[in-house]
Amino acid sequence: MVFEKSDMKIFIVIPFHNEKKHIVEVLKSLGKYKLPVVVVDDGSKDGSGSGIEKAKFKNVTLINHKINLGKGAAMKTGAEYSFSHGAEAIIFMDGDGQHKASDIPQFKESLEGGKVAAVFGTRNYKYGIPLLRFLGNKFASFMLAVLFKIYISDVLCGFKGITKGAYKKIKWESVGYGVETEMVARIGKEKLSFSEVPIEAIYHDKVKGVTILDGLGIIAEIIKWRFTI
Amino acid sequence: MIIGLQIIALIFAFSMVYFAVLHFKRGEIGKGEILSWAVMWGAAIVVIIFPELLRKFASTFLVTRVFDLMTIGGFILVISLVGSAYLRTKRNEKKIEELVRREALKKATK
Repeated sequence: MVFEKSDMKIFIVIPFHNEKKHIVEVLKSLGKYKLPVVVVDDGSKDGSGSGIEKAKFKNVTLINHKINLGKGAAMKTGAEYSFSHGAEAIIFMDGDGQHKASDIPQFKESLEGGKVAAVFGTRNYKYGIPLLRFLGNKFASFMLAVLFKIYISDVLCGFKGITKGAYKKIKWESVGYGVETEMVARIGKEKLSFSEVPIEAIYHDKVKGVTILDGLGIIAEIIKWRFTI
Repeated sequence: MIIGLQIIALIFAFSMVYFAVLHFKRGEIGKGEILSWAVMWGAAIVVIIFPELLRKFASTFLVTRVFDLMTIGGFILVISLVGSAYLRTKRNEKKIEELVRREALKKATK
């Protein structure tokens, strides 16, 4: 499914850090959807940003963080840029190539017409999610369900979409990986409508992403948000 | 035993005075800060040399030994310093995040 004309102005936002191997391919795969793409280079040291500049993509805006702030901060920068440049909704994707562009139509369909305020991608576990991440993910889902009365089956999935209205209500504080769970917590708190869509995920690099220490920090933060948001 | 502890505590206190002066000379802390650190460590040195000075104070708070009182005081001081350092770090992180974002958005390239 290729969008020639979109009713709702949707931007794709891709935060990344040191993704020289994958980011250009990710952007190439998005080409046929003709949606504005905002990539946020979160202080990469491997020249990922220059790779994007050399490729001279149309419809792609590159934003550079001079230093590495974290995924949450990069997502916020991308969201701020998109919404101040006319976006009505945004779809977040990871820059490591684990998400497939062919899943975008599902997000777009759910967001269009304001049917829901947020759409969450749900990874199919047959594509090889590491066991520890699977268990951590389920535990985070369980905690959010207990503390915020919202159940998302794949809380830590970075493939998700939100409308401008939702962003205004759930502006997150987390600068790191805690952003995924904070977004869910705030959506639960604000009682915003949401849906889940099944997506495919391919793990290119099992050592990147959320570590056990990040996971423990996220669990502690979920408890903190119960009292602070 | 107590003498040994006093010597260690004195070495530590004098080292901290030295570091405070060093940071002041480097211009990293101001006059007010060096004065408060000097007063604090000066008081600590006096108490280390003459622990009996605190005996009456300790008994007021139903603490039997002066050493226990100093340990409790030390904990309170450390916890408050860690708390204030945490808040300052958070504030600075926030400022850095906003600055980096502002600069990045200004220079966004198509």
